[in-house]
Amino acid sequence: MQKANAIEVNNITKRFGSVTAVDSVSFNVSEGEFFGFLGPNGAGKTTLIRMLTTLLKPTSGSAIVACCDVARQPDAVRREIGVVPQAMTSDLDLTGYENMDIYGRFYGIPMKERKERISYLLEMVGLTNRANDLVAAYSGGMRRRLEIARVLVHRPRMLFLDEPTIGLDPQSRHVVWDFLRKLRDGDSITIFLTTHYMEEAEALCERVAIIDSGRIIAIGSPNELKSQIPGKDIITLAIGNLSENIINAIKGLPFVHKINIEDNIVRVYVDSGAHNLPALIDAVRSAGGNVTSATIHEQSLEDVFIHYTGKTIREEEAKKVSFLTGAGVPLKWGR
Amino acid sequence: MGRLLAVIERDLRKFQRNPVVAAMSVLMPILYLVILGNSFQGKLKDLPIVVIDHDSGPYSRRVIENLRAIESGQKIFSIMYLKDQKMALDGVRDGLYKAAVIIPHDFSKRVSIKKTPEIGLFVDNTDGISSEAIRNSIEGAIRSIRQEHVSIREKQDEIYLRGIDLYAKVDYYQSLVPGVVIMAIFLGTLTTGVFNLVMDRFLGIDESYLLTPLSKSHIVGGLIISGLSITTIIAALVLTVSMLMTGIPLSKGFEQCAAIFLVVTLTTLSLLSLMFVILGRVNHPRIVGILSGFLNVILFFPSGAVYPIASFPDWLKAFAKVNPEAYAVDALKAILFKGANILTILEDIAFLFIFTFAMTTIAIITFKRTL
Repeated sequence: MQKANAIEVNNITKRFGSVTAVDSVSFNVSEGEFFGFLGPNGAGKTTLIRMLTTLLKPTSGSAIVACCDVARQPDAVRREIGVVPQAMTSDLDLTGYENMDIYGRFYGIPMKERKERISYLLEMVGLTNRANDLVAAYSGGMRRRLEIARVLVHRPRMLFLDEPTIGLDPQSRHVVWDFLRKLRDGDSITIFLTTHYMEEAEALCERVAIIDSGRIIAIGSPNELKSQIPGKDIITLAIGNLSENIINAIKGLPFVHKINIEDNIVRVYVDSGAHNLPALIDAVRSAGGNVTSATIHEQSLEDVFIHYTGKTIREEEAKKVSFLTGAGVPLKWGR
Repeated sequence: MGRLLAVIERDLRKFQRNPVVAAMSVLMPILYLVILGNSFQGKLKDLPIVVIDHDSGPYSRRVIENLRAIESGQKIFSIMYLKDQKMALDGVRDGLYKAAVIIPHDFSKRVSIKKTPEIGLFVDNTDGISSEAIRNSIEGAIRSIRQEHVSIREKQDEIYLRGIDLYAKVDYYQSLVPGVVIMAIFLGTLTTGVFNLVMDRFLGIDESYLLTPLSKSHIVGGLIISGLSITTIIAALVLTVSMLMTGIPLSKGFEQCAAIFLVVTLTTLSLLSLMFVILGRVNHPRIVGILSGFLNVILFFPSGAVYPIASFPDWLKAFAKVNPEAYAVDALKAILFKGANILTILEDIAFLFIFTFAMTTIAIITFKRTL
């Protein structure tokens, strides 16, 4: 049986002046699904999540989240969702408990229920002992955990997280990951997260949409997305004196499905990297090429991104100055 | 209601965690009273002047005696005596003296033969207030020389003006108290209320509550009420301390206190809601910093706290008509110095009430519920 949709997005678009941050994006997320938006900084992830969570009005298009249209019934949507924005938003001058308590009161949760829920959640994120400390004394990882726990006080049906592990050390990141997995498995909450970490999307999400320059370029489960790339492995060669001749020699090999070139780096899509590497290097040499390094790796979502855009996420980030759309940068006066 | 209380409590708790801000909000207005009171004195005194007597005759000596009488009595100026006229004039130019009085060598002679005797007064006219005061008091000193005899008191054919004070005497320090309280309210409303919203926005924390089902009225109303509770406490402390310092009596007890409380509350609400209208969409504390000095000047000086509104030019009078601080000063002066009750200041109260209502409505309408 087809599950009901928790999110339905139809041609949603957001423009800031002449910049189109999100360009006619459409997708659905089912009830209980763990859905990820993967893309470089400045791709439009934060703008999209802000539109879905009622913080920004779409320029055109529509989105139904949980129950209602985000532009028409924002209050009804707010009641059903919990949102962890990218920036840390807990009050430093309040204790962990006070942060959660006041947040719960914003939703009008009665005191008894609130108390029970808060102590349960604090236990779950491992902050019970620190509940009465000021948040100013928390580490980044603790603060992030508190903020995730805080938006669960009102038992939302859906959880939105914008780059939840940005700036966290690997250990704290794994703690957050485990917690999110527990949430999905235990409470069957629909989770929507954005990330620019490939491994995060791969580790957590059932389905991933890859977004670049405000458009969805691919959508599917991590495996589906990877299966769209020819071959299983990718051999990356650095060739000192790369020439047309050498490229043709590589393309001519029978086991090569596809190649991708950036500067002097050649990515070669093959079925078995370990098996095909010697023959590949021989071919490059006999065409006069000088291989300075060679690596083999299994396909990842990073390669999916490269497959669709022809560039790596990191390069894409380096090109963009995201002063309009980046969540970490304050927007212009008055927003 | 529960949500509104949560917004208020959040704000109050955060304020409570910053005791330095709270202490400064009380101390600074009281320092204003001390500094304003002493730097902006009603009467001038101890202005340095220099006297050169080229004459040394009987009349020049009488002039100097009269000057000395002023020096030791009203103390408007203190006198230095020099022989060298150039040195004296250079001293005035260098700012050493505010004025130089030169008595020419033929002064006594001209007085006795009644041939237009003259005394030179060189003043540093760049300091308008001092030079005017010196000129007036020296003119007085010279005028009395002409009266050879002690005049008969109250000539029957002359008209005399008798001044009668309607109220107990208000000295200069006391007269500043309403202004100082208004200043305390201004500072309080600037550092609470909408300022906390600006800070949240600056720190990106506003996102967390914009994502909840709080309404615009919850957010605006909650911040205004928390600002009100903090500011009225500050204002009450400042008022109590300044009344004790300057010795203003509370002659009418409870009724007077209730009237003061009402005026302070309405003034605070007026300013908090006004700030919300002006700063409601600002997202950087620096903008508040720049505006604070400006707002303080344009609201405080035309309020009648330091200078009577009646003497303003028409355009400034028109501004004072819509300036909530002007109504607040008028009401506080009436309560503190004239023993007025709530009925006599009804006009002020009505204005502040309507002003608050209008500004709060505008603040709620213009508040942006999205980023």
